[in-house]
Amino acid sequence: MKKSSIFGLVVIAIAIAVIISVYSTSSTYGSFKDAKSTDTELHVVGHLNKQKQLYYDATKDANYFSFYMKDNKGEECKVIFTGSKPQDFERSEQIVLTGQMHGNEFHAKHILMKCPSKYKQDQVEVTETKAKQASI
Amino acid sequence: MDTAFKGEHLLPGHLGQFFTILAFGSALFAAISYYFATTNPVDTSWKRLGRLGAYINTIAVIGIGVCLYYIILNHLFEYYYAWEHSSRALPTHFIISSFWDGQEGSFWLWTFWQAVLGNILIWKAKSWETPVMAVVSLSQAILATMLIGVDIFGQRIGTSPFILLREAINLKEQAPVFATNPELYHNYLTYIKDGNGMNPLLQNYWMVIHPPTLFLGFASMVVPFAYAIAGLWQRRYKEWVHAAIPYALFAMMILGTGIIMGAFWAYESLSFGGFWAWDPVENASIIPWLILVGAVHVMIVYKNTGHSYITAAILVLMSFVLVLYASFLTRSGVLGETSVHSFTDAGMFWHLVADVVIFLVIAITLLAIRWKELPRTSKDEETYSREFWMFVGAVFLCLSCFHLVIVSSIPVWNAMFGTKLAPPSDPVKHYNIVQASFAVVVTLLTGFTQFLKYKKTDTTKFLISTVVYLALAVLITVPVIYFTGANKLNFVFILIMVGAIYSVLANGKVLVEVFKGKFKLAGSAVAHIGFGLIMIGALISAGTSKVISENTTGEQFSSDFAKSKNNPRENIILYKNMPVVMGKYTVTYVGDSIAPPNHYFKVNYKVIDANGKVTEEFLLKPNAQSNEKMGLISSPDTKHYLFSDLYTHVNMSNAITIGEGTEAAGHEEANDDKKYEAPLTYEVAPGDTIRFRDGYVLLSSIGRIDKVQDITLTDKDVAIGAKLQVVANGKTYAAEPVYMIRNNNAFDFARKVEDAGLKLRFTKVIPQKGKVEITLYQQPESAKKWIVMRAIQFPDINFLWSGTIIMVIGILLSIFRRNKELKNT
Repeated sequence: MKKSSIFGLVVIAIAIAVIISVYSTSSTYGSFKDAKSTDTELHVVGHLNKQKQLYYDATKDANYFSFYMKDNKGEECKVIFTGSKPQDFERSEQIVLTGQMHGNEFHAKHILMKCPSKYKQDQVEVTETKAKQASI
Repeated sequence: MDTAFKGEHLLPGHLGQFFTILAFGSALFAAISYYFATTNPVDTSWKRLGRLGAYINTIAVIGIGVCLYYIILNHLFEYYYAWEHSSRALPTHFIISSFWDGQEGSFWLWTFWQAVLGNILIWKAKSWETPVMAVVSLSQAILATMLIGVDIFGQRIGTSPFILLREAINLKEQAPVFATNPELYHNYLTYIKDGNGMNPLLQNYWMVIHPPTLFLGFASMVVPFAYAIAGLWQRRYKEWVHAAIPYALFAMMILGTGIIMGAFWAYESLSFGGFWAWDPVENASIIPWLILVGAVHVMIVYKNTGHSYITAAILVLMSFVLVLYASFLTRSGVLGETSVHSFTDAGMFWHLVADVVIFLVIAITLLAIRWKELPRTSKDEETYSREFWMFVGAVFLCLSCFHLVIVSSIPVWNAMFGTKLAPPSDPVKHYNIVQASFAVVVTLLTGFTQFLKYKKTDTTKFLISTVVYLALAVLITVPVIYFTGANKLNFVFILIMVGAIYSVLANGKVLVEVFKGKFKLAGSAVAHIGFGLIMIGALISAGTSKVISENTTGEQFSSDFAKSKNNPRENIILYKNMPVVMGKYTVTYVGDSIAPPNHYFKVNYKVIDANGKVTEEFLLKPNAQSNEKMGLISSPDTKHYLFSDLYTHVNMSNAITIGEGTEAAGHEEANDDKKYEAPLTYEVAPGDTIRFRDGYVLLSSIGRIDKVQDITLTDKDVAIGAKLQVVANGKTYAAEPVYMIRNNNAFDFARKVEDAGLKLRFTKVIPQKGKVEITLYQQPESAKKWIVMRAIQFPDINFLWSGTIIMVIGILLSIFRRNKELKNT
């Protein structure tokens, strides 16, 4: 066998190994319900329940942040994050959590929030309009 | 209903829009003309037409830029782009950079650089001009479509930067008064006072230079691609490689610089606490670069030995297609949930897909048609030859790139196959381990390949020097990793360390030969040393970075919670003027300085030795902007030492309020007392002290005073001041509350000592006892000013930055060398 063919086989083997390793370490998206039935970490997509309390008190513990999130299936769950409250958290429109369930609480290792408004804020400010209108 | 609106400046927009159409038309015209100029080389009129098209295109592209600048600089907020990305408050250099804050502006940068490169090619490419420019012009035409923003068959093609605000946003929906009152709507511009402004995170000098560099890098990738296409098309299989090498090196240098600039920016002023986070957007920029590096090496192999032609062609073609793929990934919105900072979808998904597909199809078709004619060698490379191992190295770079593509594209696979895969739950660890494995191979190859010669090498000599240097590398690695603490890392990282040190040593040997006279080897030796240093710096700083603000206080919310080690407790609270010991530092939050729109938190670091002497002291000022629209946005400050950096980032604070600086700081007295605990009164005589939580107050003297703030005192008034010394947290402050009698009424003027969290009132004079009454208001613990911060120590990161500079110098030397060779042939 030629050397280049051997090398080619090695390369293909590595490529396959890469795909397998990616596939095996890749996580899945799921709901809180899925999280309850598994021990592995997974990604949960949802949005913040703004009615319920966001708890973060730096004077008590600078690394404890809890809030309630509704996943995309509508199920709500308390989420705990070890760290400070991400800036602008209240404004988030979508949250992606990575973590796992501990009892009835979801312990998030990582929070990714999307606030389109942060980068793209299509809110025109026309605050003055009303005052003007009154004078007409 | 298109009525005239008052105050709009429509001319620059119309002109700009005209230029976008002209840019597209002229680029297409140039591409077609150059195509026919290539197929009919006898008829030179085609070539002239092609040049004409390219020149007009350049003028049109510059015209677009001028119009857009005019709009932004003059704050014409009737244009959506100006309103969205700039504001009146922005300083000039950020107004310049707000130009490429949006998708349209960054496309413009790209097309601008491509136009510049086109002109250089017309000037320099000689016999290559027509086919190469045909490809570059095609790419120009397609880029121009991204900016046209014209509706064709009900489908908007591209997004124009000249869209008006009222076209982009339904003002009537946003502000119902506009819908009910046409008169107001007619005057809508008078209510648009200011633009949105730039995201404070981007207000950084790196925003001024990083995007232009990065896009010059992307734009210059088209040149080697165009040469490869031209070579296949014109059957000039061998020559194109020689001509394309300097351009490929140039693209490699600029794109590499742009990427590292991005890393440096992230490290210096963004809050993710590191220089590289393997975010899909970062990966998108490094993917084409890795392939290009592989391509350059294989091209050199082909040039020197005639081996690996097909690999060189495929890699060059792929590198540009991957640039387009990267732009698809970051701009189409496909990354969605996996990236923090992908551009949002501007409705260009299929447009961007088409861009990738067009160039992919051209490349594959041409390769397939010419496949049988392509030069190949019947003989295998020798095992002990430089070309074989360079080829192996290039393949490993491709594998590393392959891995990045596979993982970054997970959302694409999901879209294509309907799967629900998510990125690895610990992506950084996953990337680090897999990429490190490739890096081990690549660093070792950059080392021992230096001992090999092209064609055939003396085996014994090679083996001896390889082993000797490898042994030396291991000997150096051992103390290095123990000294830096890198020995605790995963084994594969230690192997990289060996590989990187080996690479530096082997290339150092070559460099010695350079100084003995073999000047042409300088480029590769220097570039490889730079690369080795980058790996060393990245490894030590990322691998042994240490969070020194680890929190040991704080209430335990549940024992369960404490047990699960999901996150290190990296944040710590610092109360104002209360020192906290972190590692070898004594850290104190000493105050704030406000320079709108920035709020700087002054954090004092002290190193105190065993005798209590301060051996080192410095102040870091991490800053935050509290932006009404975007909330609190903070950026870190870093203390740079030669061999380590100390990074400090404030996450949160109660010292900063939203919109501060915009309104006058008018405290309402009535509410003021609520900020304090219940007051305590003390009867004291001069010399007495009052204790409080953080220290004590000493009444030094009582005396009559003549002036109280802006009240002029008359003879009938009596005003007495109590001179107080407040000693808190080892510091002394002076305060003089005043007691005043005017028209038989008693007043008093309180004094605050903010740093000690105190308010002091002189509330009574008790002459019979010879005492006075001082009322002391103490802030509760929670109302005291605090910051929540994170401090990380990054050792040896300067290897990374200096390695980059060295690598760039090395590539630059190589460009000179290859250019000279090109002239000599």
